[in-house]
Amino acid sequence: MNVPSRKRLGPLLLIAPAAILLGVFLVLPYLNIVVMSFRMPGQGTPYGPGFTLGNYGKFFSDFFYVQQVINTLWIGFLTTFICLVLGYPVAWQLARGASTFRALGYALVLSPLLVGIVIRSYGWTILLGNNGIINRTLTGWGLIDGPLPLMYNALGIIIALVHVFLPFMILPIMSAIQGIDPSLEAAARSLGASKVTSFRRITLPLSLPGIQAGCILVFVLSLSAYVTPSLIGGLRVKTMAVTVVDALIDTFQWPFGSALALMLSVTGAIFVVIFGRLTVMKWKA
Amino acid sequence: MSKPFFTVYCLIIYAFLLAPIAVVVIASFNAGAFLTFPPQGLSFRWYLVFFNNEVFMRAIRTSLWIAAMTTVISGIIGTMAAMFYVTHAGKLKETVRVAMLAPLLLPEVLTAISLLFFVYSVGLGTQNLVGMIVGHVLITLPFVFINVSASMESYDPAWSLAAQSLGAGRFTRFRRIMLPLIKPGVIGGCLFAFIISFDVFTISFMLKGVGMSTLPIQLFDYLRTNFTPEAAAVSTCSIVLTMAVVVISEKVLGLRIHRF
Repeated sequence: MNVPSRKRLGPLLLIAPAAILLGVFLVLPYLNIVVMSFRMPGQGTPYGPGFTLGNYGKFFSDFFYVQQVINTLWIGFLTTFICLVLGYPVAWQLARGASTFRALGYALVLSPLLVGIVIRSYGWTILLGNNGIINRTLTGWGLIDGPLPLMYNALGIIIALVHVFLPFMILPIMSAIQGIDPSLEAAARSLGASKVTSFRRITLPLSLPGIQAGCILVFVLSLSAYVTPSLIGGLRVKTMAVTVVDALIDTFQWPFGSALALMLSVTGAIFVVIFGRLTVMKWKA
Repeated sequence: MSKPFFTVYCLIIYAFLLAPIAVVVIASFNAGAFLTFPPQGLSFRWYLVFFNNEVFMRAIRTSLWIAAMTTVISGIIGTMAAMFYVTHAGKLKETVRVAMLAPLLLPEVLTAISLLFFVYSVGLGTQNLVGMIVGHVLITLPFVFINVSASMESYDPAWSLAAQSLGAGRFTRFRRIMLPLIKPGVIGGCLFAFIISFDVFTISFMLKGVGMSTLPIQLFDYLRTNFTPEAAAVSTCSIVLTMAVVVISEKVLGLRIHRF
């Protein structure tokens, strides 16, 4: 009698540690933060007794926070869009280009992922600062009189975010294009389609799943990015993630901070779902 | 687009990807007191400052220690889960996969904040490294899972049945069939877990206790107030360390690490 029950339990023991870890340290904390967002703000303690809708009320009544969510979403959109435009040709090259170039290019796209995000953002502060390389070079050449405002604004944040997340756009599109049978394009060409038409009617639609995956990944990552906006934006331009983290670390406003974090994540999720629906419709059409 | 134009375009993008990293490495050899370009002479001056800076050295030790713990825990749990996923998940396969990848799909900031509140709610607090290591294991688990399950793609349950019918016990079957198959995946996944844990910021930032900064946190704090090339020296050492891990794994061990 013992043998069959052990046979059933054996495999379950394999998944048990992961299930317990994810259940206790991912699911429970996420439930906890939802509850936390309805708690009363505390005096001198992270939160007080009782529950309230006030944290969300505070969010919607204060234009500062709504504006900041809009700014963060806007930065996310632009970052995603620029990554797509810059990354697509590179992805195509990596999937279809000459093979010598391909291995090197692949390594070049992957290597930034192995460098910590603090270091990469730091590199951008060296490049973009008022005394940074770009401004000094341009001034040295006499092209500009004073330093261009490249840092401490949304522009600098977007430049650095595009850099940090570009590989996450290139890699999914690359594998999508690799999955397309090259004979399809050859067939279109032999039937008289121009290069542009063959790209527009064959390659682009078939690579849509990769585009979709890349866009969602980059969008979600840029919404929750903390280091880059914090170092490049400084105190002047803050994204929502920066505000939330600073609010929690400096002022211990746990319930309100939870509400802010959830509002940002939920808004981001809504846009991802809408985007997913739209691309799937386009895909089927 | 014409071919030469296309190639040049791709080269510009590659340059864009490498520029900030190259700039940090070059800046670390600056002999001057400030970050200027081109550097005012070459020197290892800032490396000496860094090696004698106890704050940074302690942060490196903390980072290595946490990364090692994380790699071991994440490696074991992730490998077991991947074995279940490939051999026994059955109808639950898609559910298991989504659950295992969840830490990767959820925004890191939200996970970090949730975990911070949680460790305080259950009285664990951030006085010790438990909370931080749990966070690192969560974040690295998907990478071990992806690598190990990818290495088992070719696994056929019939092999295990054949071995069983020939009298091999559970442990022998694991050692002779499963282990050789998953070995590259386990090593690759663990190396990647180590690198991720060594570089991860937000989770560590939220869950760190007093005086337990990891290297990225220490660097971040330093950069808020200081502009000397010492930070560049620290960064360069960190880059060299991770690159060494990757080169060793890919060249010496001949492994291909799956990142997605």
